[in-house]
Amino acid sequence: MNTKISIFILFLVTLTIASCTEKIDIKLDESYARLVVDGSITTDTMAHAVVLSSTSSYYYNQPAPPVTGAQVSITDGTLTFDLLEDQAGVYHTAPGVYGIPGHTYTLQIKLAAAIGGQTEFAAVSSINPINKLDSVSLLFHPDWARKGIWEVKCYVQEPPTVDFYRFLVSKNQRMITDTLNEWFVTDDKFFNGSYTNGATIAYLQQGSPEEGLRPGDMVTVEVDNISKEYATFLMEAQAELRGSNPLFSGPPANVKGNISNGAVGFFAAYSATRSSALTP
Amino acid sequence: MQKFLFLFIVIATLLIPFSGRADIPDNGQGKVVLSGYVRDQSNGEMLIGVTIFCSELKTGALTNLYGFYSLSLPAGHYKIRYSYVGFNTQEKELQLDKNLTLDINLQPAESRLGEVVIIGKRTDENVRAPEMSLVKMDIKTIRKVPALLGEIDVIKVLQLLPGVQSTSEGSTGFSVRGGSADQNLIILDEATIHNASHMLGFFSVFNNDAIKDVTLYKGDIPAAYGGRLSSLLDVRMKDGNSKKFGITGSVGTVSSKLTLEGPIVKDRTTFLVSARRTYADLFLPFARDKNVRENKLYFYDLNFKVAHVINENNRLYLAGYAGHDTFKNQFATMGFGNQIGSFRWNHLFSKKLFFNFSLIFSKYNYELGTPEGDANSFKWTSAMRDHSARFDFTHYLTEKHTLRYGATVMYHEFFPGTANGLGSQSAVTEFKLPAEYAFEHSLYASDEYKVTSLLTLKYGLRFALFQNVGPGTYYHYDENNNPTDSSTFKKGDYLNTYSSLEPRMAFTYMVNEVSSVKGSYSHTAQFLTLAQNSTAGTPLDIWFPATPNVKPQLCDQVGIGYFHNLKKNMYEVSAEVYYKNFRNVIDFRDHAMLLLNPYLEGELRIGKGYSYGVETMLRKNEGQLTGWICYTYSRSFRIIPGINDGNRYNAPYDKPHAVNFVANYDISKRVTASATWVYATGLPVTFPTGRAIVGNAIIPIYSNRNAYRMPDYHRLDLSVSLKGKDKPGKKWHGEWNLSVYNAYNRHNAWSINFTQDSKDPNITYAEKTYLFAIIPALTYNFKF
Repeated sequence: MNTKISIFILFLVTLTIASCTEKIDIKLDESYARLVVDGSITTDTMAHAVVLSSTSSYYYNQPAPPVTGAQVSITDGTLTFDLLEDQAGVYHTAPGVYGIPGHTYTLQIKLAAAIGGQTEFAAVSSINPINKLDSVSLLFHPDWARKGIWEVKCYVQEPPTVDFYRFLVSKNQRMITDTLNEWFVTDDKFFNGSYTNGATIAYLQQGSPEEGLRPGDMVTVEVDNISKEYATFLMEAQAELRGSNPLFSGPPANVKGNISNGAVGFFAAYSATRSSALTP
Repeated sequence: MQKFLFLFIVIATLLIPFSGRADIPDNGQGKVVLSGYVRDQSNGEMLIGVTIFCSELKTGALTNLYGFYSLSLPAGHYKIRYSYVGFNTQEKELQLDKNLTLDINLQPAESRLGEVVIIGKRTDENVRAPEMSLVKMDIKTIRKVPALLGEIDVIKVLQLLPGVQSTSEGSTGFSVRGGSADQNLIILDEATIHNASHMLGFFSVFNNDAIKDVTLYKGDIPAAYGGRLSSLLDVRMKDGNSKKFGITGSVGTVSSKLTLEGPIVKDRTTFLVSARRTYADLFLPFARDKNVRENKLYFYDLNFKVAHVINENNRLYLAGYAGHDTFKNQFATMGFGNQIGSFRWNHLFSKKLFFNFSLIFSKYNYELGTPEGDANSFKWTSAMRDHSARFDFTHYLTEKHTLRYGATVMYHEFFPGTANGLGSQSAVTEFKLPAEYAFEHSLYASDEYKVTSLLTLKYGLRFALFQNVGPGTYYHYDENNNPTDSSTFKKGDYLNTYSSLEPRMAFTYMVNEVSSVKGSYSHTAQFLTLAQNSTAGTPLDIWFPATPNVKPQLCDQVGIGYFHNLKKNMYEVSAEVYYKNFRNVIDFRDHAMLLLNPYLEGELRIGKGYSYGVETMLRKNEGQLTGWICYTYSRSFRIIPGINDGNRYNAPYDKPHAVNFVANYDISKRVTASATWVYATGLPVTFPTGRAIVGNAIIPIYSNRNAYRMPDYHRLDLSVSLKGKDKPGKKWHGEWNLSVYNAYNRHNAWSINFTQDSKDPNITYAEKTYLFAIIPALTYNFKF
């Protein structure tokens, strides 16, 4: 819902204000280095990844410095999966690993060299169950935007529990929503316990080469039931990435993750379900 | 509601004995009372704050909000001077042996006809008046200041005065002496305006054609008013021309205005109706894009007032305002607006006891939604309403004492938000935040005591009572601000009471004929807070009441000032120093959710704050060149557990240095040129000092709260106005006004964001958004 309000508000701003932007030189201080964790375990059967890097100055202008040589494992108390570094800073489980709804997973990291004065970090996350996505549909609005917009709609029975969702969209098996700020994250405040009946979860720009659809293109929606903490993390991160203005934004603030000992980022455990539709 | 009525009656009964006693003429010691009303000769409007001065006794009085004055004097022969900014001073020689009612008509300074004695246009009111930290603006001065898009705005002119800062570029939101925008009580003919902005804050709700008088109290707030910490902005509408029927209007770049006013019954009843509407959207039908053609984007204001004189001792006023903003496009609709109404009865119990009774209604609401026919279609509404009554007595007791006392009763209704599905296809379920209700009552009394002709003391006490009443649901929170459980209250239940005793004190000491020292102390309490986390705010921000979880915010302010006039009051110089201490000050946690959140109170963080500053001003009110220059140094800080790790941080409106320069030059009888220049330190901001990559996105790691600053703000505005030729017998008076906003085209930063390069996402850079480049505008004003 909050995303919806924000989109809406941004629209009003652009409507109302013919503002201009230009680059500006702003000198920034550099804060101390922190460990950054970006990892997950899901109900999909696959090799699950945890990426370790460190923070840098804001104008670093290069990929994040990887953190190599760490010992990384994920456990639900009975089974423990060790992760192996197959690229600098990228740690994977063995293929064929899957998470189980109702289980709580703990990520443990032991660094070869201390970052921010710490070598050991941990994070805990639980998998909530998810109702299977019945179907998705596509609706084209030729008069929206310049070349039209596709609404991606989904049909699912929402359970009466308080839930949080993330929606990912791919076209012909290729992820369109490939960065955090493109993910649609929402609570169930407006749909709690009811059938969603084609609620819109994404808008695809026909004018964009990445998002535009041709007849026969397959659009796949992945719905993840994520924890409240992860949803909050994502929504806060999205708010920070969206930029701020004096009308609608509160003061910028750090995004709080779930990693111990002052590390940044998130280790998320979640359940996933998918459904596809062919472009008419 | 029954209790409400009960309290109402109790207070009314309590007050009547006062009035009864005052009815007996108290002229025992050979004193006589000179009283009456002071009007503008040209249109019959009552004048507020006219100085009535007896130079033999060096004593005087001011006309009140309804133009009434009363002065007790020993019987004798006096010269009485009536003076007012922008009007020719009148002097009357009077032999006062018994009470005298003398109504005065003052002539606007431009006209030099008539038989009255012209003494000089200026008054020494700023030095002599027992009030400090006060800004009074007459509408003529306001009209001369160059305006954004030619749309003259009362609040934007106030922002050019020391201690008053805009909350962001082009915004009508304002911060007084480091306080937040919601700490200003804004009243229009006694009714509270809960959101004084149009069009996301770029224009205010005040249509200057309907306005007579604007006074801003930055400290030393009269005991009659309370409920906000930092200031009182008292805006009064015109009563309507009592001499002749007239039409004034303007055609501008943004809006057009039309005002009709005149007598209904000669010398008894007048009316005023004023309307303003923007018309940017009237051009939308010409757009090529069909969707753009169906967009809506406008606001309107409608003011009306009827004033009626029943007899010498009784007058009635009925005033109203309605304004609304509408936005609509293919994806969304949004509307918001204020509606207020006030009915007032002025009664003179005697020449020495003036009474006003007001019944006031005020409403603010907004609605937001998407078109029907979609699974996500929704409509979201929010509203708040105030119902209140005021009893205000001004008792001109003796020549030394003027008492003001009275009471207010107020009932607040809050409907913070309801969202519903819209249309049969919508799957959106209803989501409703519980309504809240509260009383806010007060009793006050103050005395203005002229100890000697050199020293005046003002002291008063205000007692405020705030009560949350049922029906309502209140949540309980644990120490981490997470909701635990809730209590539900039935209609008529009193579930919480706060009270506050608010002393207000001030002195004025005349050092010599042309200079004075003034000091004041005031304690204020605020029971309502605006859930606003951004600097400029939006129409969606809602007010929420104090509850058992949210204590009232408190402020103590002390100020001292030196006031000096030069060259027969041609120049006014002033300097004021103030210190404010805030308790229970509210800020919001990082990433606070303020909309449609039933646990809003869990988002609050409560602590303390302080601000201090020096305000200096040089003002010239007479001659071809008029205007002012002022410099303000001020700081404002907050210390709130849970924000910035509990360390002190710069308050959102902390702008250490501010310079304002305003000049108007009358080139000829027909041509006036004006210029304003403003400079201010950039607002405090939080910038990134590091970055982390998560989900392929660059997440900023931030500095301490408000540790950086926006670039300095400065801007020059210019305007020229040309009046039509004045010929005898000509009815139509026209005037062209050409204004240029931001004349040297400075790109003042409205916001600064850090973004990723579109080609290489690893590269990040700072980008500023500016709203206004150089903006010329042309307006035509007319009157007939």
